[in-house]
Amino acid sequence: MALLGPSGSGKSTFLNVLGGLVPPTSGEILIRDFRISDMTENELCLFRREHLGFIFQSYNLISTMTAIENVALALTFAGVKKDIRLKKAKEALEIVGLLDRMEHKPNELSGGQQQRVSIARALVNHPEIILADEPTGNLDSKTSADIMEMITKLNREDNQTFVIVTHDPEVSKYCTKVIHMCDGLIESWEDQR
Amino acid sequence: MKFRTILTIIGVVIGTASIIVMVSIGNGAQKSITDELSGIGSVTTIQVYQNIASTGMTMLAGGKTDDKPILNNDALKELKKIDGVVAVTPVVNLSSATIEFNRDQYGVSLMGVDYDVMNDMRYNTTSGKKPGANDRNSVILGKDVLSSYTISSAGAQAQKSLVTPEDLIGKNISLVITKTNADGEDETRTEKVKVTGVLEATGGSEDRSIIADYNLVTELNEWQTGVKANVKKKGYSEALVTVEDSSVVNTVTAEIEDLNFTVFSMQQILDSMGSVFQMLQILLGGIGGVALLVACIGIVNTMTMSIYERTKEIGIMKVIGASISDIRNMFIAESTMIGLIGGIVGVIISFLLSILINLVAGLFIAKGSMTISYITPGLVIFALVFSAIVGLLSGVRPAIKAANLSSLDAIRSE
Repeated sequence: MALLGPSGSGKSTFLNVLGGLVPPTSGEILIRDFRISDMTENELCLFRREHLGFIFQSYNLISTMTAIENVALALTFAGVKKDIRLKKAKEALEIVGLLDRMEHKPNELSGGQQQRVSIARALVNHPEIILADEPTGNLDSKTSADIMEMITKLNREDNQTFVIVTHDPEVSKYCTKVIHMCDGLIESWEDQR
Repeated sequence: MKFRTILTIIGVVIGTASIIVMVSIGNGAQKSITDELSGIGSVTTIQVYQNIASTGMTMLAGGKTDDKPILNNDALKELKKIDGVVAVTPVVNLSSATIEFNRDQYGVSLMGVDYDVMNDMRYNTTSGKKPGANDRNSVILGKDVLSSYTISSAGAQAQKSLVTPEDLIGKNISLVITKTNADGEDETRTEKVKVTGVLEATGGSEDRSIIADYNLVTELNEWQTGVKANVKKKGYSEALVTVEDSSVVNTVTAEIEDLNFTVFSMQQILDSMGSVFQMLQILLGGIGGVALLVACIGIVNTMTMSIYERTKEIGIMKVIGASISDIRNMFIAESTMIGLIGGIVGVIISFLLSILINLVAGLFIAKGSMTISYITPGLVIFALVFSAIVGLLSGVRPAIKAANLSSLDAIRSE
């Protein structure tokens, strides 16, 4: 699913509210049976750990850690043991095709590779929904296409739901549902299946 | 590791090391002095005197002098009955005696004790043996008896003795007592005695005395002063009570005081010195504590800086599922580690400093193995725990601050 719209249309804010990063000023948010808008900060952390994955435009990897450490970090907070953590992180990196780069630090990787690491990080604890804020915003069109191919494949083969914020119509072409937003309001729904 | 973190750790190192070194100096002073004082048996000896102070007090209060106990044989029997007492002996002192040996003369004091209980007393000989009940004419020499002052055979010129007390064991020496008689003329009296042994250092007056039989010294005393000792009415001037163990000294002392005698023991000095040294340690430790307090501020500063720098990282962690307590514990663990590492390095450095201090002290205070600085295991454990706690407490505020950062703001910051 893509949220498409010009900048300032409120699509990123919508995504952040969805991820519990900012509280809604009014109304309530329900994800499955969870009432996000009523959760405390700590409950939100636990909820994110269990059910959500995040992908950002600027990747947001921790620069002092290697690729595998970045991916495994998400499992650390869930209290997973170290050997299992590394095993799962390796699996996630294998899915995004970066197994050979797992000991590299983010600044030793290209933009596309960094974004793939962050996708692996979002995948590693098998969340139901992955929220992606301009995942291709910093990438050239060729790499963007690669990333979107990968997301589409994960969506189709692993039944992984992606909510993608973008202003690039090329990106939204990969998505099954497209929501057009403008000035904080939903303009139209589109089913591309 | 960051340079900033290393500097902070150095701060903790200085703080911990100054506490340890300061307290260790207090410890060392206490240890070397108590070791010296508690040296060998003298801690188990209690000196008992007639209650001079209370005599004065009762006389001032109206002259009820008859309730003052007399330190006579009955009193000594009472003392012997106290639990833990092994031996009781009257003591008589004669301060101006001379011994002659090989035509050399040495000025000495005589100390007369009851030879019947000699074996039960904690007077140990380094060489030779103690005189038994029947060796009335035998004496033992104090360790420093010949080193104090020497009158050479040539005359009044003082010189260093070439003879050690040990050289005299088994030999006969002459005890010479001088008095000025009624006509203003000097009279001397000489007693031949045999040296059987040399006394171990006690740290007390015995070191510069010759221990002789009570009756012999009393007799010499009576001859010199011309006054008959009246034990029954006036009592002994002093008695020595030997107890079985240093642990009972305080209870025995209290019981003797209840009998209204004046008591003096090495244990009392040790006890009062103990509290003085405790004060000294608190004072010195406090000075070190100031250094650690400064280090503590350094940790707070470093952690706060670190959080500013890592705001984005904290934001990322929160977004990918770190709870508030995860973030808080992470930073508290970090500052505790700074404290603990600082503490460990501080302990190592204080051991090196301690060795250095003792080495330097050994060079300047010409006493060889002088212990100025002494680090106890307890002090090490205290320092480690304390530095870790300082690190932990210093980390609490910055950690809470980090944990409460808004994840979105944090992730957007650069």
